[in-house]
Amino acid sequence: MKIATIISLSLAGLFSVGVTVAQDIGAEDRQAALHIAVTTCATCHGAGGRSISPKFPSLAGQHASYLIAQLKNFKLQSRGDPDALGYMWGMAAPLNDELMAALADYYNRQQPANGIASASNQVALGRDIYANGVAADGIPACAACHGPDAQGTDAFPRLRGLSAQYSLKQLRSFKNNLRDVATMHGVVSGLKTADMKAVVDYLQSLGP
Amino acid sequence: MKHAVIKYLSSMVMVLVGGVAFISPAQAVPSFARQTGMACESCHTVYPELTHFGRVFKANGYTLDNLKEVRGITATKEEMLTLTGLPPISLMVQVSETWLSKEIPESTGIDGKAQNGTVAFPQQISLLYAGKIAPHLGGFIQMTYGNDSGTFGIDNTDIRYANALVLPNEQSLIYGVSLNNNPTVQDLWNSTPAFGYPYSASNANVSPLAATQIDGTLGQDVAGLTFYAMWKEALYAEVGVYRSAKQGVTNTITGAAGPLDGSNSNVIAGTSPYERLAYEHQWGRNSLEVGIYGANFKLYPGGGTVDAPAVLHGPANHFKDVAVDFQYQYIAEQHLFTLAGTRIHEAMTLDASFNADTATAANVKNDLSTLRLWSSYYYKRKYGATAEYFSTTGSVDPLLYPAGESAGVVTSANGSPDTRGWILEANYMPWLNTKLSLQYTGYTKFNGASKNYDGFGRNASANNTTYAVLWFAY
Repeated sequence: MKIATIISLSLAGLFSVGVTVAQDIGAEDRQAALHIAVTTCATCHGAGGRSISPKFPSLAGQHASYLIAQLKNFKLQSRGDPDALGYMWGMAAPLNDELMAALADYYNRQQPANGIASASNQVALGRDIYANGVAADGIPACAACHGPDAQGTDAFPRLRGLSAQYSLKQLRSFKNNLRDVATMHGVVSGLKTADMKAVVDYLQSLGP
Repeated sequence: MKHAVIKYLSSMVMVLVGGVAFISPAQAVPSFARQTGMACESCHTVYPELTHFGRVFKANGYTLDNLKEVRGITATKEEMLTLTGLPPISLMVQVSETWLSKEIPESTGIDGKAQNGTVAFPQQISLLYAGKIAPHLGGFIQMTYGNDSGTFGIDNTDIRYANALVLPNEQSLIYGVSLNNNPTVQDLWNSTPAFGYPYSASNANVSPLAATQIDGTLGQDVAGLTFYAMWKEALYAEVGVYRSAKQGVTNTITGAAGPLDGSNSNVIAGTSPYERLAYEHQWGRNSLEVGIYGANFKLYPGGGTVDAPAVLHGPANHFKDVAVDFQYQYIAEQHLFTLAGTRIHEAMTLDASFNADTATAANVKNDLSTLRLWSSYYYKRKYGATAEYFSTTGSVDPLLYPAGESAGVVTSANGSPDTRGWILEANYMPWLNTKLSLQYTGYTKFNGASKNYDGFGRNASANNTTYAVLWFAY
């Protein structure tokens, strides 16, 4: 519980920078964001942010504050996982704060996609790790921050339905400090690869 | 006799140009990466093969720009100018060596063999403007020095205006117009000829006699204006026309770059239509495209001289090209797999060549079909291999595919265009913009036969080619 509280406070600070609330978004920015989302973002993230490629995360239903924080990190080049460098550093570079907020709001309002059943038989293990952590390895429960149903909060990203490939790559990026988030680095440092795979298979299986 | 020799030579040149043009290598351009701020892998599996994102980037006119821009706008926010912070200039270099399975004869007439093992340093160097020009306007403009021509000239070029609409149900519609100089250079898939496999090939090999017109024969010799639309990044349709746009020719009366007349060879009568329809389905890590493309070229053979005049009217040669293609891609983090192919059928009605005073076609009607089927595998975009099967078959025409009178090699003893073989290629990419390739091309049939295809004792396998190339772009 203590670990969860610390994580909670630190990540809340991380994701709450410069958030523009939805009602402040102007009609022109909404229109521009819609155009960008449909004609550019959708190429990788899918129509309505429902990705059909396991490489690219679904954005539909994601919390706006998290999306804004990530877009800012991409633009500032402070998020260093491979696909951030390869794709998003460039894509986020021309976005201003208003467009980021409008894009985040657009995706937050989209209906999430259905989950994808995993071929592995580790979903039950993943559910257990997600809900309870791995006490023997000092791994806290994911649910402590991301919520019991992985819906996330304003401070923590929604994880439901994210592809296993994407989530696994993020966990490895946290572990390797390519994605420099101290709390997540601490959480996953002791997490075994097999346990990581079980958790991401479980998350991928979750529907809207 | 003199006229016959001139016409024969001109037809041979035309055919040979057609034979080698299709191997003009395709390119990938780091200036796109600089402009978009995105790594090569966004647009390419391994250059020059495009991913779905790369295809959409191309359809959008190469204009996605994430650099700081110099901008000019009006009071109503109309964009009048956007210049990217860096000019989208790239350099591409190929250095190669080619070995033939068996030397070709000495060309000076005495008994002997040509040297085997041709070093090309460089095989080609290209300077490219590849990127945004203005809002919605972008270009891929390639200038190439080749060691075969020894000159620096225009290569594949595609300048396009593109825009995108959001339809009421949040579906995208990309539309645009391309001005280009090679039918299919503007296409989005690598299953069509201009950017199809082999992506790099020797220019010191022996090329077969026959190639269809749409298969690179008219590359850099025409100007095309095509209109296209892409719905939901899946359904693609394109129509347009091509007209001759010769390079390096002048009108002998005016001394100017035109107008074209009967002294020019293979001139399009008016404009020739081009069509393309394709559908791409994506699921998971997979994408599958199937499509058709084609053109209907009406060409005046021309090639006249004062002694053997020709005019650009009257009977013409018709080439109706209809092709199907497909491309399957599997793109994962470590494993990348592609299976692609195309089959082109060309129906020829050679009214001009058949009815000429000195006929250069024995049949009014001929047909020619080319099939290519290839598959690539890459591991971590670093180690790769490609295999291709290719086949060209067609009707026998001893004037169109002549036996020749000298050393053979590039002739056909039986008047058949049939050529068949395979390519095996191994690749190593130490960096994403540097490729080392070793390629072996084996022929089981060449210009109509497996054994003694030229009537001078040369077998198809004698033209088997080993080709090593260093290819990088910056």
